[in-house]
Amino acid sequence: MKRLLTLLAAGLVTILWAGQATADSTGKKKPSILKPSQAETCGDHGTSVHFEPNPSAAARKAQKEEKLVLVLHISGLFENSDFT
Amino acid sequence: MNALANPEVGKYLEEHFVCAFQKVGTFRIVGKNKQGGNVATHFCAPDGRVLHTIAGPVDAATMLREARWIVETATKAMKDCKGDGAEFKAILRKAHAEKLRTDYGLVVQPTLYDAPEAQDPKGALTYRDPTGRPLAPVLPPPPIDGPDVKFRFRQAEMAKAAGGVALMDRRGGRWVLNNQGRVHMLLAAHSMTKIEKVYASVFEGILGERVSTRPVEIVNPFPWHRAAK
Repeated sequence: MKRLLTLLAAGLVTILWAGQATADSTGKKKPSILKPSQAETCGDHGTSVHFEPNPSAAARKAQKEEKLVLVLHISGLFENSDFT
Repeated sequence: MNALANPEVGKYLEEHFVCAFQKVGTFRIVGKNKQGGNVATHFCAPDGRVLHTIAGPVDAATMLREARWIVETATKAMKDCKGDGAEFKAILRKAHAEKLRTDYGLVVQPTLYDAPEAQDPKGALTYRDPTGRPLAPVLPPPPIDGPDVKFRFRQAEMAKAAGGVALMDRRGGRWVLNNQGRVHMLLAAHSMTKIEKVYASVFEGILGERVSTRPVEIVNPFPWHRAAK
C-alpha cells in the first residue's frame, strides 16, 4: 500500500512539472499589471495613432513638423488595453 | 481608446497632431474588477499650452468633431491675430465661451486678462497627490452670467440628459452642464495655459479622478481565498 502511494505521489509530481514546462514553452508571458513595459512605449497600442514616447518628444516633433500636440492623460496602463 | 482605433480619426490626428500619452492618475483592482480610471485628451500648442480638451472617453465621431473644431478655430485665430499672442489667446477663450453659449445655452465672460501673481503652492487651492505633495493649482472657472435667450433650449436638453452637474450662476440660478460643457467653461478662462497647470482641474476637478503618481493599487477583498489559476 505504501509503495503504491509513493508511486502515485511521484507520478503526480511528474505530471505537474511537465504541465508547467509545457505552459512555459508556449512563450506566452503573463502580462504584468504592476510594471508597465519599459522597453517600448512608442507604438500603436491597439489604436490607429502613432504615439511618441513622451509629451516632450511629441512637442519637439510637433515644433519641427508645424503640427499641434495631442496628449492623452490617463489613469492606468495605456499599454495594457485591459486596464485602460 | 475605441475612438482612437477608428481609421478616420487616426488619419486626421496623424495629419494635424503629434500624439503622446501620460499617466496622471491611478485606479484600483479589487479582486478581478477595475475601479476608477479615466482619460482626458488635451489638444495643445507645441509649447504645451492647452487649446482644447475632451474630458472622459468619447466615441469616434465626437473625437473627430472636437479635433476638427480646434484645428479650424486655431487656424482661423492665427490668421486673425496677425502674430499677436495675447490676441490669439483672447480669440481662443472667446471661442470656448461662444461654444458654451451655442451648444449648452449658458453665457460666461471669457477671461481676457490673466492675473500676474503666482498661486501659493502650499495654499488650499492646490490639487495634491495622496502623499500631500502639491501637483497643480485649482483653476477657478469663470462665473456663469445666466442662460442665453436664443439657445436656452440647449439647457433644457442638458437638464434631461444624463451625466450633468448642477452649477449656480451669479444670481443663484441653477443650471446643468456635462463634462464637456464644463471644459468649455474652464477654458473660456484658462485656455492657452500650460498643460501642467490645467490638467488637474480637468482630471480631478471635472472628471473627479484623483491625480496621482502612484502605481496601480491591487486590492484583494478576500485574501484568505487563493487566487484562481
